[in-house]
Amino acid sequence: MTMDDNKMTFEKITGDLTHHIRINKGFLAWMGFLTVSLLVCLYAYSLQLRNGLGVAGIRDYVTWGMYLANFVFFVAASLIGMLISAVLGLIGMKWLTPITRIAETIAVAFAAVAGLVIVSDMGRPERLAYVFIYGRPQSPILWDVTVITTYFVLSLLLLFLPMIADMAIIHRKVATLPSWLKPVYKALSLNFTDHPAQNKIINRAIRILLILLIPAALSIHTVTSWLFAVTSRAGWDSTIFGPYFVSGAFVAGSAAVIIAMFFFRRNYKLEDYLTDMHFNNMGKVLATVSLVYLYFNINEFLVPGYKLKRADAVHLQELFAGKDALMFWIVQIGGLILPILFLLFRRFRKPLPILLISIAVLIAAWFKRYLIVIPTQEHPFLPIQHVPHNFVHYSPTLIETLITIAPFILVLIIITLISKFFPVIPLHETAREKGIEHIKFD
Amino acid sequence: MRFKNLLIIIFIFSIGTRISAQTWVVPDDQKAVVAPFKFTPDMQKQGEQLYQKNCQSCHGIPGKDNWAKLTPPPGDLSKEKAQKQTDGEMFYRITTGKVPMPEFRNILSEDDRWWVIAYLRSYNPKYVQPNPVAKAAFTGRTVALALKYSDPMKKIVVTATEQLKDGRSGLAAGVEVMLFVKRYFGSMQVGDVKTTNARGEAVFEFPADLPGNKDGYVEVSARVNDPKGVMKTTPATANLGIALPTDKPSLTASRAWWSTRGNAPIWILLTYTLSVIIVWGFIIYIVISILKIRKLSRG
Repeated sequence: MTMDDNKMTFEKITGDLTHHIRINKGFLAWMGFLTVSLLVCLYAYSLQLRNGLGVAGIRDYVTWGMYLANFVFFVAASLIGMLISAVLGLIGMKWLTPITRIAETIAVAFAAVAGLVIVSDMGRPERLAYVFIYGRPQSPILWDVTVITTYFVLSLLLLFLPMIADMAIIHRKVATLPSWLKPVYKALSLNFTDHPAQNKIINRAIRILLILLIPAALSIHTVTSWLFAVTSRAGWDSTIFGPYFVSGAFVAGSAAVIIAMFFFRRNYKLEDYLTDMHFNNMGKVLATVSLVYLYFNINEFLVPGYKLKRADAVHLQELFAGKDALMFWIVQIGGLILPILFLLFRRFRKPLPILLISIAVLIAAWFKRYLIVIPTQEHPFLPIQHVPHNFVHYSPTLIETLITIAPFILVLIIITLISKFFPVIPLHETAREKGIEHIKFD
Repeated sequence: MRFKNLLIIIFIFSIGTRISAQTWVVPDDQKAVVAPFKFTPDMQKQGEQLYQKNCQSCHGIPGKDNWAKLTPPPGDLSKEKAQKQTDGEMFYRITTGKVPMPEFRNILSEDDRWWVIAYLRSYNPKYVQPNPVAKAAFTGRTVALALKYSDPMKKIVVTATEQLKDGRSGLAAGVEVMLFVKRYFGSMQVGDVKTTNARGEAVFEFPADLPGNKDGYVEVSARVNDPKGVMKTTPATANLGIALPTDKPSLTASRAWWSTRGNAPIWILLTYTLSVIIVWGFIIYIVISILKIRKLSRG
């Protein structure tokens, strides 16, 4: 804590954390760019709807391709809400306060879109409801749909509950608020007046949510891993796929949070709240989860590599020295080993270096999912014969790539809207932590 | 020296690949075969439907060059390379096939095959059909099979009879016969090909441990082995109660992981339902308590 912190008044905190809530040219330009990009991608999807999945590079052997790699990535990125808010929050790490809402926003955005990503791989998306109508309770697919829906609702509630007090402050105290937004904030504030009974309800609800969030989050990514691990295919036939996926998810999510922290700090001028200390600590979190992930990676490749069953041998050969080797080693070294080594040093945990490391980690995380999904499908147990060349080797098409990009644009739109119209950093909690006791809500 | 060797190897290899690409030779007598009837627009229409069902998945839509990318390439059959074949060559290739092209001998009747050719020729404006030659009268053997189970011998006896020239029928010796039993997916051959003896009989051992239905019945059939198609043959089929009675319940009849939705294991149903009820119970509780916040404001 520096001397500055003690001098902060409630007015300054409120001003700092809410001054970005207005519609300016930058926001309109950014949203315009996102909307146009989304429309282009939606056009690509309309082509797929009209002409069928054949417009994508997926064929009889590689039936999932980038769509499912993308799905795993989105579920993974959404898991960070649980790590930051629930695990570290329940342990009582106070420095997390300014980061929790960023983590929850990322969780909500990715979880909301993850379900749409899976629809992009469906030939008949209008039959989505059949998953529920005809779903078998024995099938991980039904479990996956159930837990993702549940996790999304839990995350949304966890994003909203700590915001109630903030809404109450904003609609009363922020003079610069556009007039048409005032009634919205008033409604969302639920007449919050810092009444002890109100606080009791909110605190209890948050506590229940934090506890529920842990099994729900573990479930969504474990079940997602089971979609692969319950088959006997080389590369998927693994008993540690659950923890392997979960630890990998924390790596991707931590990197996403660091990237978001950097841009919010810069664009919304939050240098006093998201300090070097926060980046330093998030760097330690990223290094820790990356080490855990490295441990699972070693298990995942060393054990089958030692036994070298025939199908595993073909699969590992392609990954280590074959067609996928270049991508594999760039991902493993550039996205895991080098980041761990760099993050051991404090100077690389400063905002700019850690931003660059996180971008590398996040991109590698996407390609890691590609390497989990596609090579296994290219190596079936029965030999591939008498089929066209493009059935044997998967190569994504432009339409498929655009459809894969669309969910990212949607996530950016959701994150932009949430962060633009609500304080990125919890206002009420921050004020309390800075020692401001008496906030008038009347 | 080495360079020379390399050249020789390349030369031999290139000849080798050329030969292998051109080895689908049609015998001269088959080349000269012509259709037994004049092609009509109606036949072309029939041929189009047969083409779409049997040929289009590899050869593509005629004229669009959208054939499947296979090795060797199937090619577009409306194009000159295919059209310069005689009708006989086309007929022979459709009939016999050559991997990866399937043989259509047993899939399309002779008339069907000619109709497909009629359809393909409709893409060739220069094509003039050679005068049809009616098929020569059939001179081969006409064989009918019958089968029965011989209790004293514990064996299956297949008897072949044939239509003699004078119109009478007699026992057919020297006919190759195969025996099959019907299984879930197609037929399974029992024993080897047998040749009928002077009494027109071929005797097959029947395995004692072959599973049948719950009463021990299996569908047994006998066919003449006639790969060149020079005979007119009638197979025989019989339902015989000679197999092991097998009454295993269906794999989806009881509750199991792999079973249908209605037969999910109880513990999965309970775990799934309880988890959903508990978690969503809490969610509903939280939503209700959030609504209470409104009423609790000061003043």
